[in-house]
Amino acid sequence: MFKTVLSLQWKEFNRGKSVGGKLVAKIFKWFWIIYFAIMSVMIGILASAYGGPSMEFPLENNSLAPFEYANGQLIYFFAYLIVMRYFIQSLPVLNIRSFLLTPILKKDIVRFSLLKTILTYFNILPLFFLVPFTLALASSGNYNTLGLISWNINLLGLIYLTNFFNFLLNNKNNLIYIVGAALGLIKALEYFSIIDFTIYSKEAFYLFYDIPYLSLFTWLFVFWLYSYVKKYFVTGLYIDTGLQVKIKEAKMDDFSWLNRFGKTATFIKNDLRLLKRSKRARTAVYMGLGLLFYGVIFQSTEDVFGTTSAFFGYLFSTGGFLFMFGSFVPSWDSQYYPLMMTQNIQYKEYLNSKWSLMIFGTIISTMLASIIYSFSGLNAVYAVLAGAAYNIGVNGYLTLWAGAYTKTPIDLNSSANAFGDKKAFNVKTVLVGLPQILLPVLLYFFTSQYYDHFMGCVAVACLGALGIFLKPVAFNLIMKAYKTEKYSTLKAYKSN
Amino acid sequence: MIEIQNLAKKYSTQTVLDINILKIPAGQTFGLIGNNGAGKTTLFSCLLDLIKPTKGKVINNQVDVSISEDWKSFTTAFLDETFLIGYLMPEEYFYFIGELRGLSKQKVDSFMSQFEDFFNGEILGGKKYLRDLSKGNQKKAGIVAALMGEPKVIILDEPFANLDPTTQIRLKKIIKDLSNYKDTTILISSHDIQDVTEVCERIVLLEKGELIRDINTSEETLKELEEYFKARIN
Repeated sequence: MFKTVLSLQWKEFNRGKSVGGKLVAKIFKWFWIIYFAIMSVMIGILASAYGGPSMEFPLENNSLAPFEYANGQLIYFFAYLIVMRYFIQSLPVLNIRSFLLTPILKKDIVRFSLLKTILTYFNILPLFFLVPFTLALASSGNYNTLGLISWNINLLGLIYLTNFFNFLLNNKNNLIYIVGAALGLIKALEYFSIIDFTIYSKEAFYLFYDIPYLSLFTWLFVFWLYSYVKKYFVTGLYIDTGLQVKIKEAKMDDFSWLNRFGKTATFIKNDLRLLKRSKRARTAVYMGLGLLFYGVIFQSTEDVFGTTSAFFGYLFSTGGFLFMFGSFVPSWDSQYYPLMMTQNIQYKEYLNSKWSLMIFGTIISTMLASIIYSFSGLNAVYAVLAGAAYNIGVNGYLTLWAGAYTKTPIDLNSSANAFGDKKAFNVKTVLVGLPQILLPVLLYFFTSQYYDHFMGCVAVACLGALGIFLKPVAFNLIMKAYKTEKYSTLKAYKSN
Repeated sequence: MIEIQNLAKKYSTQTVLDINILKIPAGQTFGLIGNNGAGKTTLFSCLLDLIKPTKGKVINNQVDVSISEDWKSFTTAFLDETFLIGYLMPEEYFYFIGELRGLSKQKVDSFMSQFEDFFNGEILGGKKYLRDLSKGNQKKAGIVAALMGEPKVIILDEPFANLDPTTQIRLKKIIKDLSNYKDTTILISSHDIQDVTEVCERIVLLEKGELIRDINTSEETLKELEEYFKARIN
């Protein structure tokens, strides 16, 4: 039975409509996994000689400090593991409905779904840390080998506990609130240094080293949780209970105050509803908000690479929403593109509404970014404003234009990660995308080399301002691209 | 009203549509019938400029649909669920389509009030998005949206499939009224011989993309069509 279902899953992947895109996404994913694996090994080796921030590195004396320090941090590791799993790990979704009427036992269906997760990278990656770390400790000769083995077995057990716990988290709404509140509390208590959890964590994990057979209890607990989760799912295998898709109660959104903007408003109203009601579209907003802080990362590289790299960061921080939303125009409308194409709509109005929304988002991002980066001084704010002008005047058009060649349908009802979405791998989109980033950065680089930071910002801002004046020209070009691509776009969206 | 000239659609070697000439006068209720793969949906998609024909053209009220977009102001359609916007509530969807057709909110409301029976209380005033409605109710919403704004041409792909019996009868009456009193040209495709003969003044039978019969509906039409399809079995 395992073999049959596995082969079905392979076919599902292999014969899906966008195999190429999925493959690219997979390669991307594995690239990151391998990267993290290598990092884990390195951290594992380094950690075996690290006793905490207050001690010298590497540790010379033969103390238990590295082990104790690691034990102290483990509580945070598991807290983060739970959070990361909840947001990133996708639970295996078999097409369960079609199996219900086959002679496969219900508990086998569930067992397959659960056991498939055993080898997921969330469970394997920690080993890349644990194995070198343990080996390094053991070779120092200060440790009791049996104790170390037991300690590892315990951790592995806890990792699998979080694995099965994640199933419950994803299915029980009340539980997620409780766990979320608990984790938030831990974080808050730590942040305000009210309670130092590392002390308790140190003691607790040390116990499993000290008293080896304790690890057995962890695994008993793992088996209990596994069978509990299994039972929970088996009883839920009815189309009106566990398999029922939860329907949210709908609420009207009027937005009639937008009507003053004429035809453009007709579409903006819909797009606002889209952003509000579709998980996938909401992710774009969240990511836009997250990218506001992109500049912070690049600020730290300023000493090494000069102001240009920081400028790159600022440019992105105001354009986050623009890129995240704009790159998927018109894919947002992919599910009903035939409707759009037969309605009494001018392309110009349609594009203008998308553009307006992008610009509106950019303006809000700019206001927020100005506040955030005002703490870093006036120069940062200049760069933010220049980046915003460029995003509004140039990148708005370029993103829309690239959209004409983006033909990945979006399933609005799923929240599939916006990261992995295979879209970008289309030569034309990449070509259009290049000037979005390279041109302003180069312009800034040369002007700031000849003059100074301020003039660099002015130059980029001027380019943006020029773009705003050229809107009619730009729109004509974009419209042409959309018209010529119409049929192939319709076809691509159909094969969803 | 609609003139199809030399229209053909080929995918590599396979011809899925090949119609020499077909004229549909204004105000006609036109039915399209045929088995799977006959080219019904392909023909409708060409009429709506959703796919580009390999050769030939479609003239809708003097407008060549592949050149100008002016046909959109007097033509509406409901082919499948890709004509619905899932994240909208039915009311919001109707207002949206209404706005595109130049109807005020009040006009949409009064238009909708005619369809209270048709909706059977399951569409308006509910607390669901279109994506959460049943297939039948989604179809009702899509069809009614296509009737909005007094279009001159309405194209419906299999409008009767998936509808409950009462709704089918109501829809037939709506279509007949539209063609009798408003002079609307209505194009319908169906798998059900009885449905089209009941509603349509003229029936065209397609097979493998070619026009096989072109019948003005009469008493004998149902029998004629039945015999044609029975003969295909052997």
